[in-house]
Amino acid sequence: MSEKLNSKELSKKITNDYLDEAFNAHEKGKLVGYTTAISPVELFVAHDVIPIYPENHAVANLTAKKGAELCSVTESMGYTSHLCAYARSDLGYRETGMTVTRGIPKPDIFMACNAQCFTLTKWFQVLARRGNLPIFIFDTPEFIMDKKAREEIIKYCVVQLKELIEWLEGITKKKFDYDRLREVMKYSAEASILYKKFLDMAQYKPSPISIFDCLIGMAITVYRRGTPEAIEYYKTLCEEIMENKVNKGIGVLQNEKYRLYWENLPVWFKFSDHAKLLGSYGGVILTSLYVHAWSFEFDLSKDPLVTLAENYVSRFSNSTIEDRANMALDLFKRYDMNGMIMFMNRSCKAVSFAVPSLKDILTKKTGIPALVFESDMGDQRFYSEAQIRTRIEAYFETLDRFQRKTA
Amino acid sequence: MWDNLSLKQVAKYAQDPYPSIRKWVKEKGIKAVGSTIADVPEEVIYAFGLLPVTILGTNKPLKKAPSRLPDNACSLARSNLELVMSYEGDLFDGFVLPQVCDTTQHLSDIWRIVLPDRYVESYLAPRQVTRPSARYWVREEIERLIASLSRWCGKSITDEDLKKSIRIHNENKALLKDIYKIKRKTPSAITNKELFSLFKLSMQLDKTEFNRSLEKIKKGLKPEKKDGYTDVILVGITCDPPEVYDLFDEINLNVVGDTLVTGTRYLQGVVDENGNPLEALTGRHFKRGFFSPIHDNVYKNFEEIKTLYQKTGAKAIIYVHIEFCESQEYDLPDLKKMIKQEGMPIHVMDTEYQTLSLSHLRTRLQAFFESLKGGSL
Repeated sequence: MSEKLNSKELSKKITNDYLDEAFNAHEKGKLVGYTTAISPVELFVAHDVIPIYPENHAVANLTAKKGAELCSVTESMGYTSHLCAYARSDLGYRETGMTVTRGIPKPDIFMACNAQCFTLTKWFQVLARRGNLPIFIFDTPEFIMDKKAREEIIKYCVVQLKELIEWLEGITKKKFDYDRLREVMKYSAEASILYKKFLDMAQYKPSPISIFDCLIGMAITVYRRGTPEAIEYYKTLCEEIMENKVNKGIGVLQNEKYRLYWENLPVWFKFSDHAKLLGSYGGVILTSLYVHAWSFEFDLSKDPLVTLAENYVSRFSNSTIEDRANMALDLFKRYDMNGMIMFMNRSCKAVSFAVPSLKDILTKKTGIPALVFESDMGDQRFYSEAQIRTRIEAYFETLDRFQRKTA
Repeated sequence: MWDNLSLKQVAKYAQDPYPSIRKWVKEKGIKAVGSTIADVPEEVIYAFGLLPVTILGTNKPLKKAPSRLPDNACSLARSNLELVMSYEGDLFDGFVLPQVCDTTQHLSDIWRIVLPDRYVESYLAPRQVTRPSARYWVREEIERLIASLSRWCGKSITDEDLKKSIRIHNENKALLKDIYKIKRKTPSAITNKELFSLFKLSMQLDKTEFNRSLEKIKKGLKPEKKDGYTDVILVGITCDPPEVYDLFDEINLNVVGDTLVTGTRYLQGVVDENGNPLEALTGRHFKRGFFSPIHDNVYKNFEEIKTLYQKTGAKAIIYVHIEFCESQEYDLPDLKKMIKQEGMPIHVMDTEYQTLSLSHLRTRLQAFFESLKGGSL
């Protein structure tokens, strides 16, 4: 890996190399395993299964505004319009081949982890059924607020990870290499620490990064966890931000007035528009629990399966609403945020059904008013431009009044 | 109070069972514990001297639930939340809420937040059932539930308490099975609505008492042969509002089999009465049929339906879709395709818990069966 490349070039190279390897997996005697973005992919990496994330591919198409077109195709196959736009656009892609990227290789096996949502499991079931391919569900019960229950949940997850290893061994006819897993875990742990360091750059004032940088920057940790390339990428990225922005006092907005929290996944096809619109009011979205979902804290002194179980089961999306609120409050405190945008994402029920309760807790505990709006992360048909713009404008007026009052 | 109900009373009680439950718990001084579907081991709750009540939505208008769950949430989940937030919350001393999908996971949290003064325990059912770890986990969860209820009630239970509870629940299922059998052969003996009201009340009332009503009802059925019925099977999770069964009865459909959680899947929950009761309760979890929110062999649902269709000699399949149930919605297109390829007629019925007007359902149902018969019914 060349040290001369900047983070953008490096990201491009890592992505291309990764996809080249994935498309040629069979030639090298490797399998392609579809998996969910939050899943113990370290086991795939350690066993030479190349992980492919249909969600990432869906994001590329949705960001390029292909959502409505692809989703319509899926709906004509009998699926309803209120299912996840990732799933709908992916099924549409499989039907038409339409994509703004080079596409993704076909799967040999599937692993779905429901710490993110159960929707992914159902979507993967549909794909597995089509190819009559093996699927493994890593079941992560909600990480409820009971110490004893948590211990039991982790034990259950460790047992399942052992089953997953047996399953992989059975399919590949190859013994699982625990030493290799420890190595992969080391890479994953280091990359996660650096990824978190990158996200935490938003603590500076003015913030050198916005959530839009985070959403671009998170791609590598999502699909290259467990590799040395991911470490190199985040090192480069952090150094660049420190040198080019933090040390020079350069922020996303020089007149940064509102440091905002975003709840939920982004509206992918609107994400640069939102940045511009909010920026015109002096607002910059700094972070969300979503981008922190990959801030793992692997404890390498533990059995790798235990630390994997502990980390994956405790993601925000698998935590209770109260725990989610505490995680968000921690971000409010650390990032010194003074506004919040709560997105009710029709596509993502797993995250969105907590939003009204979460909003109640956060506004009560911070005293900061919230903007709640409903739309879809990827299907433009559920986005009302004028209505959302008006709400954002009105929200900044409210924030202005609030700030004057509390000054 | 519930030991001498007639069939007519049963349908009436099932429409709105809560006034009766309220009166009963007050008179008996027994605490009511609500659960949503599916798979909470009600035998455990009953063994503690509590009344387990499966909450199955309300027909009353939504007022508070929409502020917590948006309109694209499963209509049963919203209806259940409304029931406790606006109408019947005071009736329950506690809740044991299963988590079987993304919606029920959030529902448990919301429930705990909106009813902070109540006992709320989660029952974390495994969302996979094909590997040994699922069995391990069910056992863990049953034990955790027992420990939690012990703390709440301030008492413990013995194996004998559990076995006694299991016997009562098994008796209930055996009686329901017998009545279902009679209905299959002689549809005029009991209407669809009456039969499924018996199921519903079995999941809501005290079984020691209600079993006596079931015995009397069974004895009182008049199995006379009558023609003009079309045998069908129901596929889905639940079938509500209860007026849907009126539609079936109106056009002389005879439900001869089903895969409903509020039907045959409930009957499949018979627990082995020999040996260790905890082990038996654990084993029961895996005897039940396919349930969309739980990951299972993806072809199991189809195979079950096909077997049921062939075994019962049904003429058609009615798939009951609960509006905004994601799990069903991911399964349905392929399932429908497989069923059609097999040459089995299928009608998909979209239901919503707060729907009062069923005219569109009636029209579609009539049209389907007319086309099936090649003429009017």
